[in-house]
Parts: sequence; C-alpha cells; structure tokens
Amino acid sequence: MEDMNQPSKYAIETRGLNIFYGDFQAVKDISLQFERNRITAIIGPSGCGKSTVLRAFNRMNDFVPSAHATGEVLYHDQNINHPSVDAVQLRRLIGMVFQKPNPFPKSIYDNIAWGAKMNGFRGNTDDLVEETLRQAALWDEVKDNLKKSALALSGGQQQRLCIARALAVRPEIILMDEPCSALDPIATLKIEDLMRELSQNYTIIIVTHNMQQAARASDYTAFFTMDTDRSGIMVEYNETSLIFTKPKDQRTEDYITGRFG
Amino acid sequence: MPRNTLNRQLNMVQDEILILGSMVEQATRAAVGTLKSRDLREAKLVFEQDQIINEKRFAIENAILILMATQQPMARDLRTLAALLEVNTELERMGDYAKGIAKVTLRMGNAEVNLPMVEINQMAELAVGMLHRALSAFIEENANLAVAIPKEDDRIDELFNTAYSKILHEMVANPSTIDNVNLALWVIHNLERMADRVSNICERTVFIATGELFEMDGMDEEDLNV
Amino acid sequence: MNQMEPKTFGSNQEMQDAEKNFLHRRHQRARLAQSVFQLTTLLAVIFLAALLVTVVNKSMGYVVVENKVDPSTLSDRPLSELNNTELAQILRENLRKNRVRTLERAGFLEDQSQSTLVQLVETEIIQPEVVESYNLFPSLIKRSKIKADAASTYPNAKVEFRYWLNGTFLTNSMASQPELAGVRSALLGSLQLILITILTAFPIGVGAAIYLEEYASHKSRINRLIQTNIDNLAGVPSIVYGILGLALFVRALQPFTSGALFGVDGQNGRTILSAGLTMALLILPILIINAQEAIRSVPDSLRQASYGLGATRWQTIWHHVLPGAMPGILTGTILAISRAIGETAPLIVVGASTFITSDPTGPFSSFTALPIQIYNWTTRPQPAFQHIAAAAILVLLIALLSLNAAAILLRNRFAKRV
Repeated sequence: MEDMNQPSKYAIETRGLNIFYGDFQAVKDISLQFERNRITAIIGPSGCGKSTVLRAFNRMNDFVPSAHATGEVLYHDQNINHPSVDAVQLRRLIGMVFQKPNPFPKSIYDNIAWGAKMNGFRGNTDDLVEETLRQAALWDEVKDNLKKSALALSGGQQQRLCIARALAVRPEIILMDEPCSALDPIATLKIEDLMRELSQNYTIIIVTHNMQQAARASDYTAFFTMDTDRSGIMVEYNETSLIFTKPKDQRTEDYITGRFG
Repeated sequence: MPRNTLNRQLNMVQDEILILGSMVEQATRAAVGTLKSRDLREAKLVFEQDQIINEKRFAIENAILILMATQQPMARDLRTLAALLEVNTELERMGDYAKGIAKVTLRMGNAEVNLPMVEINQMAELAVGMLHRALSAFIEENANLAVAIPKEDDRIDELFNTAYSKILHEMVANPSTIDNVNLALWVIHNLERMADRVSNICERTVFIATGELFEMDGMDEEDLNV
Repeated sequence: MNQMEPKTFGSNQEMQDAEKNFLHRRHQRARLAQSVFQLTTLLAVIFLAALLVTVVNKSMGYVVVENKVDPSTLSDRPLSELNNTELAQILRENLRKNRVRTLERAGFLEDQSQSTLVQLVETEIIQPEVVESYNLFPSLIKRSKIKADAASTYPNAKVEFRYWLNGTFLTNSMASQPELAGVRSALLGSLQLILITILTAFPIGVGAAIYLEEYASHKSRINRLIQTNIDNLAGVPSIVYGILGLALFVRALQPFTSGALFGVDGQNGRTILSAGLTMALLILPILIINAQEAIRSVPDSLRQASYGLGATRWQTIWHHVLPGAMPGILTGTILAISRAIGETAPLIVVGASTFITSDPTGPFSSFTALPIQIYNWTTRPQPAFQHIAAAAILVLLIALLSLNAAAILLRNRFAKRV
C-alpha cells in the first residue's frame, strides 16, 4: 500500500458499488467521485440507500451481519472493501457524525480525549481538547465547564461536540449522516457554518433529507432515488448550484421541486 | 402530487402578470391613438394611469418575494419565479414607454404636425402583438413559440428606419415644426425599444423551459442608435 | 376527585348529553381500573406485612425458664463475677468425674477463658430449660395471666422477656438445646457460600452475556439454540440443580471440590465449594439473562460513536457497553443473590450438614447454611425451636438486605458516573 501517501485525485471514489442486505439489493451500481476539501451532499427520498452508501465508506455496514458489498470504494487508490484493509484504522481516517447527537455519557473533556487515547494519542491532551473544540466552534461555550457531563449540553452543542470528537482522531474525511435532523434551525445553521469552515481542511460527505440544507451547505450534490425494484440508484451528480437551479434529469427536478411521488 | 399551495399561488402571480401585460397593451394602443386624435384628455388619462401599472408591478414583485420566502421553490419553480420577477420589470418599463408616447401627445397639443402615422401605427400594432404572444408563450412556458417571436423584430426595425427617414425629411422640409417633429423620434424609439423588451420576455421563457440564458437577437438596435 | 358536574363543550344540547353520558362511562371505567390496581398492590403489601408480623411475633416474647440447679446454690455471687479457679471448682464439685475428664481433654479447666467456663457451668450444671414460651402478641396482651399461670404451674421457674434474636444467638453455634443454639456457623456458611457463588457466577455470567450480545450472530442456529436453552434453564426447579451439583461437583469432581488436589485433608466432596458452585450454576441463567438485557439497553448509538472513532470491539465493550450496562447487571446480581441465599433444596441434595457446631474453615470444609438451619429447626417438635427458627429467618432477611444494600450502593456509584 505504498500508494497511501500518493495524493489521489479524489478523496473517495466508488466504482460500480452494489450493497446487499441478504438477498435484497439496497443500492445498485453507484459510481461517484468525491472532491477533496469539498462538501458533497447526498440527497434523495427515504429508503433510497443514501445512508447505506455513506456507511460503506467507513465500513460501518460490517456491523450489519447480512450486509455485503460488491464493486469498489477507492480511498487512496485502495479498495476499502478488500479484506486486507483494517476497518479500525479506516474509521479513524474517515470519521462519522450521526443522525442523533450521541456524546458518550462522560465529561466534555473525556468525550474528546477518549477517541484520541484509544488511537494511541501521546501528546498534550489539554491542547488537543482546546484545539478541536475551537475547530468545532464550541470552545467559547464550554471552556469553563470541560468537566461537565456532555449530556448537559444542548442538542446543537452535543452535535458540535460529536464533530469535535471526530476531529480529535485526525481524520481526512468526515461523513455526516443527517447530522441536523434532530436540531432546531439555528443549531442547524451553526453546524452548516462549521461544515463550511471545516471543508478547508477536510473532505465532508453529508447525507441529508433536507434539500434546503444540501443547497445551502454543499458544493456538490448527488441525487439518489429508488429504482422500480426498490433498490437505490444514483440519478444525477453535479455541482450543487446546477442541481438546484437546472437539474438535467426529470426525476431530480421532480424531487427537488417537491413534486416527487 | 404535493406543492398545491405553491402551484396555486404561482398561477395567481401568472394571472396578475397577464393582467399587467394587457394593461400595458391597452396603454400603448391608447397612447398611439391619441397621437392621431389629439384627444388630450385621453392622453392625460394614459399618462396618469401609468401610476396604476407601477403599483401593480410592486404588488406582483411583493407577491413573488413572499412566495420565494415561504415556499422555497427549487429548480423550475425557482426559475419561473425569477423570470416572473424579470418580466414584471420589463412590463413596467413598457408601461413607461406608453406613458412617454402619451406625454408626446400632451406636448404637441393641437399643433399641426406631419407624423409618419402609418409606420407608427404598424409599429405599435406589431409591438403589441409580439407582447401578447410573448406573454402567452411565457405563461405556457412554450420555448418553441418564444424563440420565433424575436425574429419579428426585424420588421419593426424596417418600419423604424422608414419612419426615421420620413421624420428627417419633414424636419428639413418644415423647419418651423422641428420641435414637435423631433418628438416623433421619441415615439418610434419607444416602440422599437418595446419590441426589444418583448425579446427579453421570450428569453425568460426559454430560461424557464431549459434553464439556459442567452441573448436572442445578438445585435441590439439600441447599440447602434445611441 | 372532584365530584362537581364536569363542563362539556358544544352547542347541540342532545349531542352534548350523549357525549356527556359516554364520557361518564369512560371515566367510570378508568376509575375501576385504577381501583383494581390499587387493590392488587394493597394485597401484596398485606401479604408481605403478614409474613413479617408472623416472623417477628415468633421471634420474641415471654419465656418460663426453669433451672435444674439454682445458681444461687452454687455461689452467693453472680457467676460472671467469679474467677477461673472458683468456676473450675464449681464444675469439679457438681459434675461426674468422667465428664470433667472429657472436658479437660484439651487442657485444664482453670486454663480456659472465664466466659467459656461460665458457659460450661450454665450448660452442664444449671441447665436452664424453657418450659413454656409465648409469642410476642400474647406476651403483650396477657402479661399478668402468663405470669400467674407460670407461677402456679412452675413454682421454681422464672418468667422473663426474651429476644430470641440476641447476641448469643448470633455468636453461638448449633446446639441441641434451643436456648443455647445459635446461627454463627450457619451464617458464616451462608456468607462463604454466597461469596463463592458470586465470584464464580458473576464473571461467567457477564462474559456469556457479552459474548451472546456483542459477538455472537443472532442469526446463527447454534447461538439461537444456546439462547433458548439459557432462557429455559432459568425456569428449571432448583432441586434439579442440586442433583446436577451432586453428580458433578460432589462426585465427579471430588478431588477438586474436596480439596484433595490442593493437599487439603478433605474427606468428601460435600463442601462449601461444591455448594457454591452448584448455586452458581443455579443463578447463572438469571444472571446471564439480566446481563443480556442490561447490555441490550445500552443504546446502539454509543457503540456506533465508539466504532466511528476507530475503537476496536473490545475497547467499545470495555469503555462504553459495560459501564452503561453495569447498573442493570448489578440489579440482576441482586436478584440472583436473593435467590441463592434463600435456596434450601439444592443444598440438602449437595449435602449440607444439618448439625454442625464448628465454623466453616474454608472452601473445603463441610458446612451448614441459614436456610438449612431454619428448615431443620422448623421440623423440631419443641416450641422453643420455632422461636429460634423465626429468629434465624430474621437473620437471613437482614443478611439478604445487607447484601442487596451493598449491591445497590455499588450500582448507584456506577449510575452516577454518567
């Protein structure tokens, strides 16, 4: 794997990715390139397999016993579905933020320090905590209460803590699975601002069912929908500005104008 | 199919645009008519009614903004609303042209002036006709119809040129009426500009249908004249 | 409840009346349901209270004690004030030579402690006997009548109020006379038994639960079979576990359970270790099921968060799943302890001694346990044994509550760490 250090053109690239749950094909033949240091949104109706695809990027589908994937997910020119790839390391490099804020039932400080420690962090933990909290635009709000339980924070703060926690293990890519679906509009906008800020240093892939959010926050948008056999397919992938003003495919048009189904 | 609220409100705005369009048509016809009849009361009415057109324009603009803010339209809906906003402005300008023509009548008063009324009437009829069809195409979002309309502009340009030389002749022949004849240049200019703005409406129609924006008649007459 | 006519809304009088009727019936049904549930709770409380009252009632009350020899004839001072020499002398004077020789087999009487000698004088010479005993309630209500009856029937006897659950009851070992019998060896036996049970069952049970919940595939046929078996084992009668323990630990593993393997002079496998392991088997299914439930209640989002940060499965389990599940696991352990400490049947089968005067000395000693003692005493005909059985039940309950309290404290500490 000497290619690991060679900058490949894309942060992640999928080629003919198929994902199955048992006999059911959840997504079909997905080929997508995710640009580095950009925010790419995946939108589509419920059940179109967008979260499934996102979870394929850090092998979270491994925990679903019936799930298996064919095709390629290229990360540093390496197919991550290959058995030789260490999923534990992969998940450090490709971090994830989940739908519901899920901080650990520990202090704010420990929430950030834990992941780093598990991954063998040896430096100054205080500095790491401050740095990542600043990156996540949370430092000013919590700097006096680092020992307080993370569960005492508001939903939006918890989600930013989860982002800070993901940053603390030094990832290259951050996957976000509907990160704002449990948040109020202001907290949502804060997260979107934060994503924009982070995209200078990280590649962000976000799954969202909120089209306005994709339109506001992303540089590229991929539209997924369900095929006639209910498996997910990618319909259109383009710059966000184009997808939301003049989509090429009628199905995209119908979905984003709210005339789906 | 969801989005019934958006559809209904969009239709309402489109209806308002059609009404605005017909108000402009009427004003143009009436203004040109007063040139011949010298009905100063009528001319004054046209002049004053432009205020109503202006108010309607603001009302429509407001409705479009509210629709954008509350319904968050995307893609075609968004383009339609953006185009409506544009067309709204264009119509208001056309209203100003009609007002300008009415103003010419008021300026001339009952003075004896030899105007190229044949050309002026034809230009007005053509421009109003183009506007009417352009609005229909716009509301129907029919790009094919819309593409054909700007080509009629050539005919208007011909009439403009004929009228222009006739006016020059008149100026040379009757230098005493030069003040009033000069005003006729305004009239044909306004009518010619009106046709140009019809082209803009057609451009928006194509934009709604395809998402593409381009200038329909590459050579804008205005560039040559001014 | 507010008995005011409730206000309803509506313009049509007829419809309002119909609705009011309907509402009235619904509220009636709701109140009925509430009272049924209150009644059932009340019944449970009554049963529990009845149990406690019966036990407490028996555990104290008046007794009529008749001494074979009046202590005042032995010495003019109270026995406890006499020194060793005087006590030894009393013993030598009043006992047969053979008996004295037997007592002196371990050493001269004078060399034994004063309290031992006092006790010897009491058991060997004075021999107090409870000739009549009363429960707590009769003692309180008919005090004078009891005293009068006693005075007329046993002129030499003394009437005193006795707490059967007293210091000597706790510190004395088993004895054939109920006045002198105590629960010390039984209590120690029970505690050691529970210790072995918990030390064995807790790690195995939690380990099995972790495997079944976190590692095993729920779709695999073998794992489903294991799961079904565990669920069913929780309902197997305890006597069956006793028979299993007898066959497995007492017989098959005798070299291990008797301590022979470790060079201990164990005569057979009927030891605390065997009993503890049998009890461990008995509570294992309960422990596993409870631990599984607790592990399952840890939200999946925590595991995902942990895995998402690049933690391994074990790091996730150790740092997030187990701390999150610990309160639940400890609750399950409390239930299991309660079950184990009160079990009698398997102990009888495994071979607990019903009469043993020596304390258990370690995992390889023979033993008795509180439930065995209680069972044994309740089968005796003398009424005094019924009283000490009640006292022993109180000891058992207190021991149980203390163990539970300890586990609850531990659980609260875990829960507070959040």
